Amino acid sequence: MTPTVSASGLSLRYGGTRALDEVSLRLTAGVTGLLGPNGAGKTTLLRVLATALPADQGAFTVLGHDPATARGRQEVRRRLGYLPQTPGFHPDFTAFEFVDYVAILKEITDRGARHREVRRVLDEVGLADVRGKRIRKLSGGMRQRVALAAALAGDPGFLVLDEPTVGLDPEQRMRFREMIAGAGEGRTVLLSTHQTEDVAMLCHRVIVMAGGRVRFEGTPAELTARAAGRVWSSTERDSGARAGWRTGTGSFRNVGDPPAGADLLEPTLEDGYLLTLDDAGAEVTA
Amino acid sequence: MSWHVPEEDLRAYVRGELAAPALWSADAHLTSCARCRGALAEVGDPVALDAGWERLDAELDAPRTGLLEKLLVRMGVAGHTARLLAATPVLRRSWLGAVVAVLLLSVAAGHSVRTGEFPTLFLALAPLLPLAGVALSYGPALDPTYEMAVVAPMHGFRLLMIRTVAVLAVVLALNGLATLALPAYGLRALAWLLPGLALTATGLALMPRLGPVLAPSLVGGAWAGLLLAADVLRAGADVPLAPFTVAGQGVAAVVAALAAGLLFLLRDRFDLFQGRAV
Repeated sequence: MTPTVSASGLSLRYGGTRALDEVSLRLTAGVTGLLGPNGAGKTTLLRVLATALPADQGAFTVLGHDPATARGRQEVRRRLGYLPQTPGFHPDFTAFEFVDYVAILKEITDRGARHREVRRVLDEVGLADVRGKRIRKLSGGMRQRVALAAALAGDPGFLVLDEPTVGLDPEQRMRFREMIAGAGEGRTVLLSTHQTEDVAMLCHRVIVMAGGRVRFEGTPAELTARAAGRVWSSTERDSGARAGWRTGTGSFRNVGDPPAGADLLEPTLEDGYLLTLDDAGAEVTA
Repeated sequence: MSWHVPEEDLRAYVRGELAAPALWSADAHLTSCARCRGALAEVGDPVALDAGWERLDAELDAPRTGLLEKLLVRMGVAGHTARLLAATPVLRRSWLGAVVAVLLLSVAAGHSVRTGEFPTLFLALAPLLPLAGVALSYGPALDPTYEMAVVAPMHGFRLLMIRTVAVLAVVLALNGLATLALPAYGLRALAWLLPGLALTATGLALMPRLGPVLAPSLVGGAWAGLLLAADVLRAGADVPLAPFTVAGQGVAAVVAALAAGLLFLLRDRFDLFQGRAV
């Protein structure tokens, strides 16, 4: 499958910190999850791929266009939808006015065509009924959907979503997942998240970052398989475990290198993620 | 009810071709007669009717066109550009701030200046208004939609210029009105104009390197420092400060031109994120 995004050796340094360190990846159609702890470099990578920040080294293309030149950057941006980690709004705008404003920035200058597009994307995120409502009167989940609608305006081929499910309650998160899954049909979505459930439910590929580097790239099943034979149950916390916690049943779930004869458990994606971080020397919190 | 809207009139009504006063009669009657509303649905082309409803729905949702936007469009500004200008609350806030500041300045200047002196307070503060207005319209800390705007295909420099021109037009007009409130000083009261342009252009030109908060702050601080130094050096209270002399105005014009040139050279830098990544 031809990759939508192809990056090699992306590096970016802030002062003494290597925010990105030789990041190479290929993204194809569908939803790819980007997992990593705080400070892993996820947002920096998204900003570089969204052409907001230039990398110090390395190169990448989006749908065949190279953003290293002004013309290439323009072409990439015409094919890009970007939902930042904390999308800002003019609170006095209605949902319609906000998406309309972003659509103008996306060069949809014809009024009729733009308004049709605004209605289409607001319908797509389930906000048809609150189009005329002011953003300050919308709930957090609805505001996030307005921002997603703005990202979808212009039908971009590459959609970059930076932790869109943070702060949403479980019901809102589930609705958002439905929308992201819908958005991933026929386009390439890169979804940064802390939630391994997001990845398990939505993504056909997953990338794990820590310390500015890619530590894993593969399918969610392959990430889960990393923990096969490395998750076990015990009545006491196993001192040899890299991470362990008491579960609701009272027994301990341990992740790491099990002792002989341990009572092995079926691994989850989160187990694979924790072990990948641990192998990378990143701080593991469980 | 003995009278109903004739079928021919209903057909004309659906087509939007029914003329007054028959149109008024039909309007009034349809609101209270279910039979005629039913007849209206039957005579109408359902596809055209749906399209009509959709158009109506779209118009109800569409952003309201304000006075300023209408005015801009009448002046020949493209509709979407007028929308960008008029729909930026940051601009409106800076606008309001500028209005209040200029009015206060005028009052303060009118009360503090004695005959023979220069309206120094007004001339010192007026150039800062366009600088502050432009700074308030741009940047990740002050524009809530900045991060979405910077990756949009519209050039960041173009957006910045649209906002800058809007802020300058308003603030310079208001400063001009305030100048008219100081008729005793004639053209000397316009000595804020070139320093104002120089400060604004310099603040913008330094933004790509220093950021959208530090650059205008430093430029404003440098202006204050320059005026204090000029005050120490001037010969007497009835002599204008150096920046407001003919020579000072010439220097301001040169600085404005140089800064504008530098700004143009750096225009592509406004297409990139000017803030720290997390």
